[in-house]
Amino acid sequence: MILSKKETSILIEIIFSILFLFIFLPFFYANQNTSFTIGDLSKKIIEIIIFAVAYFSITYTFLEVYFKKNIVEDERNDMINSKSYKLGYLLYELSLFVFIGLLINSSIDYNGGVIFFVILLTLVVSLIKSMYQFYLHRTI
Amino acid sequence: MELKNNLKEVRQQKGLTQEELGTNVGVSRQTIISIERYRYKPSLELAMKIARKLEINTEKLFYFE
Repeated sequence: MILSKKETSILIEIIFSILFLFIFLPFFYANQNTSFTIGDLSKKIIEIIIFAVAYFSITYTFLEVYFKKNIVEDERNDMINSKSYKLGYLLYELSLFVFIGLLINSSIDYNGGVIFFVILLTLVVSLIKSMYQFYLHRTI
Repeated sequence: MELKNNLKEVRQQKGLTQEELGTNVGVSRQTIISIERYRYKPSLELAMKIARKLEINTEKLFYFE
């Protein structure tokens, strides 16, 4: 399967989301019943930022070296982006209702649980959006 | 009625690659491939740019079948 630079960059985002799910989510899952302070979270936030910067620096450097040519943004890309972001927006709205439902139902009592659900929903929605974008690039 | 085109034939007659045509009209090679395979319907502006580059009438390049 030959992939274009655009498709490869979408795959990089998908892999990042999956890695993030496996590396950082277990910590927040294990601390769902914890009330964090900003001080508690600062170390984790710095870890996440360093991981994201290192990951994207390395992978995008590889992309630039391997493909060399720039990504041409044209009307087909705009159409694919609008379709995939529309799906992402609808999923965010839906997940917001689920989240509010959980809060009203008092299923989440600690801010650790809130952080876990927010990160989980954001990652899942972002993952679905990127996969749909990749699918459209392969089929349109 | 489906929108079809002769893009591949005309482009090959003019001796242009998909990459060259795409660069000339400001789109990616993937977009030209998608148009040739009827997967993507170009905007009127892009259709006219392609037709102008290939020196053919837009209605001869794109037609309903």
